[in-house]
Amino acid sequence: MQHGFPASIVLAALLTLAPTLAVAQVGTIPRMPDGRPNLQGIWQVLAPAAWDIQDHSPRLGVPAGQGIVEGNEIPYQPAALKRRQENFANRATADPESKGYLPGVPRIMYMPFPFQILQTPTHVAMTFEYAQAVRIVYTNGTPHPRGPIEWWMGDSRGKWDGDTLVVDVVHFTDQTWLDRAGNFHSELLHLVERYTMTGPDHINYEVTVEDPKVFTRPWKMRTVLYRRKEPNVRLLDYVPALLMEEELAEQERQKAK
Amino acid sequence: MNNRRTIALIALAIAAVAPRAAAQTPERPPMLAGCPTENLAWHTCALQKTKTFTPPRTSSGKPNLQGIWRSRLTQSFSVEGVAEDHPYVKDVNQRWDVGAPEIIEPADRKIPYQPAAARIGREGINFRDYVDPRTTCSTGGVPRLALQDPSQILQPPTDDHILWLHEDHHQFRVIAMNQQPLPGRNVTTWNGVSRGRWDGNTLVIETANFNGYVWIDDSGNFYTNNARTTERLTMVDADTIHYEATIEDPTVYTRPWRVAWALIRDTTPGGYELFEESCREGDRNLPAIREQGFKLYYGIPWRFR
Repeated sequence: MQHGFPASIVLAALLTLAPTLAVAQVGTIPRMPDGRPNLQGIWQVLAPAAWDIQDHSPRLGVPAGQGIVEGNEIPYQPAALKRRQENFANRATADPESKGYLPGVPRIMYMPFPFQILQTPTHVAMTFEYAQAVRIVYTNGTPHPRGPIEWWMGDSRGKWDGDTLVVDVVHFTDQTWLDRAGNFHSELLHLVERYTMTGPDHINYEVTVEDPKVFTRPWKMRTVLYRRKEPNVRLLDYVPALLMEEELAEQERQKAK
Repeated sequence: MNNRRTIALIALAIAAVAPRAAAQTPERPPMLAGCPTENLAWHTCALQKTKTFTPPRTSSGKPNLQGIWRSRLTQSFSVEGVAEDHPYVKDVNQRWDVGAPEIIEPADRKIPYQPAAARIGREGINFRDYVDPRTTCSTGGVPRLALQDPSQILQPPTDDHILWLHEDHHQFRVIAMNQQPLPGRNVTTWNGVSRGRWDGNTLVIETANFNGYVWIDDSGNFYTNNARTTERLTMVDADTIHYEATIEDPTVYTRPWRVAWALIRDTTPGGYELFEESCREGDRNLPAIREQGFKLYYGIPWRFR
């Protein structure tokens, strides 16, 4: 320490610099002609939340990970907690992902597949490589259609809060899960997502999860979406249900030989 | 069963169409955008009109194709047309509608198949032995997606991509406008990889990297993973697009061929929003079709292995 700065001075300097750095970063985000942040591009999560949104040790085929749930605890109601434990025990067959279904929101946002955002003043469209899924976020001021409606990917309506895109999502089914570890929700799921660019290649993704049938209170997840930077990157397709069927067709073909 | 569930199931029931059930053929008025509505006559007349029509522009000055579009001058049964004396027209199990060919070239309005391929397409081996791949909740592919209703075109003002969204099985096509090279030929996809460019007021979409797992129509007409398509979208008037697709595939055709039809703007009062058409998630249809002995179609190359 003799030749360096006292720790307290370094800390003070960091604290002073931090807000400045944050402002500097926000200033460098790409913008649309109308001045809104330009969220367009191909994005992908790196956190291993697809396997388990909470803190978890490695399991065979599952990378260890620190959870993306704020405070790590999910406030399940007692009956729901029991179901979550059953889901975990039966996850190999009970997980809707194993059937190749549309994975729902927010799950698809942190699955390890790229998705592309395309943006106009009235729409933010998210097109996913996984299951050829689509989310159309209407930013034209229209309200959710009158329910009840059960859509696998919900109905998304967005508005700008400064440079943050805030998306309200309702009209879900009770058929989708939140991860491969059995975390789940009901058709009363209500999400508020916040997309904030922190630089040209990063989006902070935050989602508030509310479901009066399953949880005792709203809770939050936070992760980061990274821009895919390979010069030749393109959205291809990965349609799990069709790949399963192709496997079946191949077996039939072999049998017929 | 509560109401929420009922609505979801109705939506699913609509999605899960029977393999040979007649889709409703859109009405064919005597005139459309001031042109007669037999496909070849309409194509010739509409293309002439595009030369004098100035399309609306986006903020960046490109022709503005945005909106919700419905296909017209189409029938889903065969791009080669359905004649009045076709046996399926009166067959209660098939109920095909009589309709003009969507093919405008070659002059005989038939797909220029090589002889072996002609026995597979055109109500041949595919139709007899295989499940229409669209029925397995996959995709119509190109150009069949453009024949399904409805679709939506979005043009980001950055002009680097165009998005064509289709309600049918929530399919989409991202069209890169930057002439980025195509992936290698071993990268195959259901809807192909598309590059677009503007030719005057026409959006030209060139697509390759197909997996060859789709059919062109209900009667099993097909291409392989060696196919390339070139689509041209041109506004005829403020509410009509002339749609044309050239399909080439040296593996199964003797020459390129073309289809053409109309896309008309949806004018639902209050505007239309695409529904989520989940299919796989509610499909109770495929097992019944499979019990009838139809095989799953995963492309012609398999039969040559």
